[in-house]
Amino acid sequence: MKLLLAGALAGALVHISPTVVLVKHPDAVKQLLPGADRFLAREYHLSDRDAHRLHEDARDWSPENDVLTFYVGKQGGGEVGALEFMRIDTPHGPLEIAVGFTPERTVRGVLVTKATVETRPWVLAVLADGLTEHYRGLKGTGTPNGAGALKDKVGEMPDYMAHHVDEGVSRALAAYRDFYKS
Amino acid sequence: MLYDLRHADARVKWLVTCLLATFGLAYLFGGWMVALYAGFTPHAVAQTYAVSELAAEGVPMHMRMPPDSTMVVEHQMTSQQMMSMSEGPHTIDRDLLIQDTHVHVPMYGVIAACLSLVVLGLDLRRGWGFALITLLFAAPWLDFAGMWLTKLASSRFAVLTVAGGFAMGLAYTVVAAVAVWQMWRPAQGDVP
Repeated sequence: MKLLLAGALAGALVHISPTVVLVKHPDAVKQLLPGADRFLAREYHLSDRDAHRLHEDARDWSPENDVLTFYVGKQGGGEVGALEFMRIDTPHGPLEIAVGFTPERTVRGVLVTKATVETRPWVLAVLADGLTEHYRGLKGTGTPNGAGALKDKVGEMPDYMAHHVDEGVSRALAAYRDFYKS
Repeated sequence: MLYDLRHADARVKWLVTCLLATFGLAYLFGGWMVALYAGFTPHAVAQTYAVSELAAEGVPMHMRMPPDSTMVVEHQMTSQQMMSMSEGPHTIDRDLLIQDTHVHVPMYGVIAACLSLVVLGLDLRRGWGFALITLLFAAPWLDFAGMWLTKLASSRFAVLTVAGGFAMGLAYTVVAAVAVWQMWRPAQGDVP
């Protein structure tokens, strides 16, 4: 019985906790596509060859159903930028980030939009230490290293979450670099 | 009977009661979470687990073929649509379902085993014991089989997940009710 109860406790500890919204999608749109008054959703339905190429470039990641979606913001005749939502599955539950790009094809900003009840404090800790500042201005060919920049400032689990955010930004960069055309 | 809960030490009865109460609380919140993230009808479950709207309409997933060359599709969105962009229905794709299966199935197994140990201490016919133990383990299997079949084959299998969920609730309710009744009912001649 003791063994079973210990097993139940261990099981409870690894149970994925529910999702928590940190930034609502409309707020992410306002922050990452500032001033835009027209929007369009641009979907790339990838061929097998392109899906394979992205899988290689994004280090073993593929979008769900091989469909990439970018939200494009426009103002007047010009483009304000583009935005991607990216989900990262971690052993502690999914994270979601929003990555915004400028018309100059650099990262305008990154927001962590969703975490879980369990991961929220770790994510908030790295956000408070300025994790997302380290992605600003990255080009498509750049390598996100927010976790490395915060390595000595944060604890083990926040550092672990920062690596997952790096991973998500890296995927977003690969998708943007490989497919997005203004 | 391997042991008899009716005549067990009061501490064992108290342990079993606390275990059942804890599981009951977990099931109540589990039901609340299902209501928030999936729903209790086959249609709601299909929306959560099926790959696309096509699946929700019952179109098998193997019909989806990748295009020969990458296609770009654009949809205009008004500011209002963009600003009221909701999080959409909670959906679970294959990767997340793999993760969910990995963490939930062992936990369900442990819960079913605990409740089965309680069943072994109940004064029931052997056939009822077999039936309850089978139901305790079959319910989570049905639950996850439904999720995977909804994901991979057809949204029609969402009914299995709903059935599995209700079967889990039913099995727990029967075990808890019978156990509490047999453990704590006043024996004849007891002073109330």
